[in-house]
Amino acid sequence: MKRRGFLAASGALTVSFLAGCGSLPVIPKRPKPNAADALSWIRFENTRYTLFVPRVEMGQNIATALKQIAGDELGVDWALLDVKLHDTRSIGRVRATVGSESIKDFAVPLAQACATLRDALARRERTGNLTVIERPFSELRAFAPRTRYVGQRTDIEQSMAIVRGLPLYASDVRRESMLYGRVLRAPVSPELVSRPVTWNSEAAKKLPGFVAIVEHVLLQQGASLGLGIVASTPGALDRIEAALAIKWHTEGTFSQQTIDAGIDVDRRISGGALSHHVINNAIEPPTQWDVDLRIDVPLAAHAPIEPRAAVAEMDQTGALHMWVGSQDVFYQRDVIAKRLSIAIEKVIVHGQRVGGAFGGKTICTVELEAAVLATQIKRAVKVQWTRAQEFGFAFHRPPSSHRIRANVVDGKIDQWWHSFVSSHILFTNAVLPQWIQRFTDYIGDDGVARGATLAYNARKKRTEFDLQRVPVFTGPWRGLGAGPNLLAIESAIDECARAAKIDPVTFRINNVSDARLARAVAKVAEASRKQPMARASDARFKRGRGVACGIYKSMSYAAVIAEVETEVTSGKTRLVKLWCSHDCGKIVNPDQVRAQCEGNIVWGIGMVFSDRLPIENSHVAARTFLDAPIPKMSDMPALEILLIDEGEPPTGAGETVIVAAAGAIANAIREATGVRINRFPLDPQLLRA
Amino acid sequence: MELRINEQMHRIDQEWKAESLLFFMREALGLCGAKYGCGVGLCGACTVLVDGEATRSCMTPVASMIGKAITTIEGLSKPDARLHPVQQAWLDESVAQCGYCQSGQIMATVALLRKTPNPSDADITQALDGQLCRCGTYDRIRRAVRRASEATR
Ligand code: FES
Ligand code: FES
Repeated sequence: MKRRGFLAASGALTVSFLAGCGSLPVIPKRPKPNAADALSWIRFENTRYTLFVPRVEMGQNIATALKQIAGDELGVDWALLDVKLHDTRSIGRVRATVGSESIKDFAVPLAQACATLRDALARRERTGNLTVIERPFSELRAFAPRTRYVGQRTDIEQSMAIVRGLPLYASDVRRESMLYGRVLRAPVSPELVSRPVTWNSEAAKKLPGFVAIVEHVLLQQGASLGLGIVASTPGALDRIEAALAIKWHTEGTFSQQTIDAGIDVDRRISGGALSHHVINNAIEPPTQWDVDLRIDVPLAAHAPIEPRAAVAEMDQTGALHMWVGSQDVFYQRDVIAKRLSIAIEKVIVHGQRVGGAFGGKTICTVELEAAVLATQIKRAVKVQWTRAQEFGFAFHRPPSSHRIRANVVDGKIDQWWHSFVSSHILFTNAVLPQWIQRFTDYIGDDGVARGATLAYNARKKRTEFDLQRVPVFTGPWRGLGAGPNLLAIESAIDECARAAKIDPVTFRINNVSDARLARAVAKVAEASRKQPMARASDARFKRGRGVACGIYKSMSYAAVIAEVETEVTSGKTRLVKLWCSHDCGKIVNPDQVRAQCEGNIVWGIGMVFSDRLPIENSHVAARTFLDAPIPKMSDMPALEILLIDEGEPPTGAGETVIVAAAGAIANAIREATGVRINRFPLDPQLLRA
Repeated sequence: MELRINEQMHRIDQEWKAESLLFFMREALGLCGAKYGCGVGLCGACTVLVDGEATRSCMTPVASMIGKAITTIEGLSKPDARLHPVQQAWLDESVAQCGYCQSGQIMATVALLRKTPNPSDADITQALDGQLCRCGTYDRIRRAVRRASEATR
């Protein structure tokens, strides 16, 4: 498949068939940052510098990393450099903060702009606009061999405010005489048509704190038309919701089985070839495959601890101010301006620190709800989704189903055939109606394909997939397709090693098609060998180690070795230790790269042991963390992380280890118990001896 | 009706009397260190101290707090004074990723160290296992608890 991004693909569509249609979805713009734009990110005034961070800060601590680069390039003291998050007026448009690309794509333009500013100040220019003269990479001081900040552990921007509990997040914003809003929706997937039919306004109006009921066509999300309520205190919203006792009209039904059947890969294969090819060598089916493996990965939530929130307020000039916790501040502006028919310069969106996003806070949901309620009521309104709304109405990691067939000859992979079915990621059904997806389906979905390219040599390779719209919203989730795809691939590679009777580390090193990946595997293996596996404490337990590795977005490399201990009688599995190697080229902040590795490891733990959203009554049935648990401290093993930096250009760290963590754990369980997990999350019953 | 928070008395206006402690603190008073994460006692983002005990403020009616001493993260140290050892340990270990859960983690740790100044690994896990962090900072939280424990000894 050709590598094409969202903009290129949908840009073409815009011209061919979307033109002139008012109710069409707004497509995010993805400009490539350049040094001229970067001039708007850095300013000098009265002896101090201000860096407007052109990325959204959501815990990757990119504000800190970019400050390190600016500090070195400007050659100024840390204390003279103030860091501010951007709003839609403080800098020119930047694309969404996604895909672990903030260092790779923004660091150099920022350094170029800082170098220009530094030289202008040296010429005693104090005011006016500058033009960037781009210099060769080798002349940028931020990337020189010896630097003051880059490559070091530093103080983390906003960390003082975090430990003091100061306001940082959209949900912390308070405005003069602000009210609280919620948009109530039918308890069915927003993919089904639904709307409120009757409700008890009288009962609601009697309640203390009641302010208004808002009926408005723009309170639509997907096919779900909601009913807005506004109150003077947030707790009153629950009471009003109960008193309204809304009766809903809903159309259609579905069950878990509808989704499972839709993405069942074997059904697809029996129907003939799949539509999209990552690589398409003609396969010569042997009489028997050495490996023939089915792996199913379910629908799963992002579950950020901050449910999405937004505050909207119209000022006296008629400008609408929004405070959002979104991965794309400019996209929020574009959608709000278009939907509410407000001139784009009259919508000012202030990006706040985001309390966890993981790809899930990329579209306009709570922001539109807040904007509609605030403009209707003519007061500032804060809307924060409840946890149940997060599970019920956000988009999720798509379910996917994989069939991998392979055979091995003389310790090498001879033929590799990976077929899978998933629902959409970049062309999410949370934004695009079915008829538009019919066109995008000609292109495929790079998000679904992410990570599916085999990083191993094989004589014949075929990787193919189908896209299936499912009746719940699916979209980007940390690493997009890379997490599930590599979990399936690395499970199958492990079986290939078994078939070849070669230990899985050596098998990988012998067969990977990339030297940096081989190096990552070798390093992690070397580290883990220093600590030989302890015997299981007694016969009630079995221990094993497993390995997995992968390349993220053709730029960053990771390998993980996991050690597990399974209790034979219960099947309960404990992670003993995880070793991880990580290579993202030149490291700007080693401690924070490590933090990203740790985070992805925890996500890998979740992928194996817990991530799943149940479906009942045409709806995501999870309402609380009991229904959709996430990893806890007690799930944590000991960790050892090795950072590899041999001076290659800087890439990205935010999602890389998602390619290897879950696979290593699954492979360790296979080694300990003999059981290959075919269906995630793991059902411990399957491991009982 | 008045509430004692961080050694200060705060009047509860009529319209806030039926609210949770969490919403009252965050929205009426602007003490927004404690966060809303689930509203039903399952994530710990809203943890504060009530008479020294870690308490989930999302589940705590404000009216039930009369006569109690509440401490929030804002009350751990004065704005211009030295940080509380637990806050300092959190900075020293660079614990926070998104940071949203961390106020709850810090308050739960303060409560733990009050009772158990020298906690074992098992004590730490037991005290903090219900404090969810989706960013996956658990390893650092553990290290920061140990560091804070050493600093307070
Ligand atoms: S918000 Fe109180 S426990 Fe989650
Ligand atoms: S730091 Fe993000 S949830 Fe804990």
